Amino acid sequence: MTALVADGVTKRFGGLTALAAVSLDVQPGEVHGLIGPNGSGKTTLLNMLCGYYPVDEGAVRIGEEDLSRASVQRRAAVGIARTFQKPRLLPTQTVLENAMLGGWRDTRTGFLAAALSMPRVRAEQRELRDRAQAVLEGLGLGYALKRRAQLLDHAESRFLEIGRALVLRPRFVLLDEPAGGLTGAEIERLGIVIRTLRDCGIGVLLVEHHTEFVFGICDRVTTLNLGRMIRHGTPHEVRHDPEVIRVYLGS
Amino acid sequence: MSGTSLRPMAGSVAVLVALATLPWWAGDQYQIHLAALIAAWWILVAGLNLVVGFGGQLSIGHVGLLAIGAYAFAILAGRHDWSPWIALAASGGLGGVCGLLLGLPSLRLPGFYFAMATMAFALIVAELVLALGDLTGGGVGLSVPGFPEPFESPAGHYLLMLGIATIITWCAWNVARFPWGRALVAIRDNPVAAESVGVPVFRMKLAVFVASGVTAGLAGALFASLQSYITPDTFVFELGLFFFVCIIIGGRGSIAGPLAGTAILTALPELVAPLAKLGTLFYGLLLLAVVLLVPEGIGRLFQVILERLRPRETASPVLEPDAARLAAAIRRQERP
Repeated sequence: MTALVADGVTKRFGGLTALAAVSLDVQPGEVHGLIGPNGSGKTTLLNMLCGYYPVDEGAVRIGEEDLSRASVQRRAAVGIARTFQKPRLLPTQTVLENAMLGGWRDTRTGFLAAALSMPRVRAEQRELRDRAQAVLEGLGLGYALKRRAQLLDHAESRFLEIGRALVLRPRFVLLDEPAGGLTGAEIERLGIVIRTLRDCGIGVLLVEHHTEFVFGICDRVTTLNLGRMIRHGTPHEVRHDPEVIRVYLGS
Repeated sequence: MSGTSLRPMAGSVAVLVALATLPWWAGDQYQIHLAALIAAWWILVAGLNLVVGFGGQLSIGHVGLLAIGAYAFAILAGRHDWSPWIALAASGGLGGVCGLLLGLPSLRLPGFYFAMATMAFALIVAELVLALGDLTGGGVGLSVPGFPEPFESPAGHYLLMLGIATIITWCAWNVARFPWGRALVAIRDNPVAAESVGVPVFRMKLAVFVASGVTAGLAGALFASLQSYITPDTFVFELGLFFFVCIIIGGRGSIAGPLAGTAILTALPELVAPLAKLGTLFYGLLLLAVVLLVPEGIGRLFQVILERLRPRETASPVLEPDAARLAAAIRRQERP
């Protein structure tokens, strides 16, 4: 099984070390939690796995493939998908079109083929639409396929972003605070979705502040503080670690 | 095909038939000339619309590409006696090459600086046309040949331009409705999200910019032969702003909107004499009105009206994921 690995990655912004030699691996079919106080480097690490920030030291790999220098697009192509803290959707496009955007890398046709509406382009479009629709219906968004994304409520936006990530056919999905702003019932439904991804063999990295949710759903949890890893283990181990309690959980 | 997509299609066919028969019902030659002019501008705007309206790249300098196409056609077909058809194709090709040369360094610039680069390009072209007098006739200008029979008459020339404009419109519509169009809108509205799903942002911007160069070159050639004489004064910088304004007034991310915008902005000052006196002031006032009252353009206005007419969605909005269906959907799209 090939894992998504951050191997001793370091990131500096000017004189500030945002991440210091942090290592972490996400296995296929596991939910890996990443917790820590604000400013501990969780989102920075996520951005480095996706390629938005280059690594200063260390490496990012999937299996043997070194992705440290790979572009964001290349990492999407090898199957790393993500969502954002604040959902980034296309407000004027429909829910279905937003999800279909996730399948961009399966588009093999060039500009001219598209402009001339070659049969291949239409077949691709059909296939993509069916695929996106099936994912959205699975997520419970089937009733909103034709709605413009700007009319969605917060939970719908979050689920649509997950849908877009899934249409990418990911091997790994990185979720940046997906429970933020959701009600208790909505967080439960989010849990159903994340467990389903895991059961389908997708590796999930879950950056989240909602610690009850994290400990309830994750197979393993990594805790960061001030850019350093302070504890890594099962939810039970992390939850009862005195250092984690001191800097983050409180007593 | 579903009933919803049949109606706009029937509408398009009706409009096309009306336009194609225009020479037989138009009041006078001038109206045909005006329609041909609209067709020329639309050929350019249709390509530019992919750059500005869909891709969100604010080019105000396409008049430079238009001038290049026009002069290329005048020189090749007029002075060197090339077949007008080959000269037309060469004008489009040259427009595309110039679009590539302009886009390569400038499309990485953030919005405002990109607009400035395109403006500088238009000004440079205008200066070069004057400076290279041996080639372009300088301030005196060049006479431009027409197309051979049956496209020689004003009506024939108009029908030729209508045919080309129809093909270009169809191509632009195809680009817009397939994944390319969605990726362009993503580049406009949320480049970070576009990257995250693997959209090669720069490469796509460059591709549509080159395409817009081709249509600008074609428009320039057709426009020049329509005018039968071109001078540097034909290609003033305001013309580049005019194309831009057609798209903004028509609405971003739409094809019908900018088409309507081009037709209205070209025809109104010509048909309503008092407006012609206002000149550029008219465009300014109209732009102000649209930006303040319907900032999303008149295309969006149509859409809102259509949405009002449609029945409301009645399905109960309960976000209830279905684990079994979701798993089936994910497994189904797994690669073998």
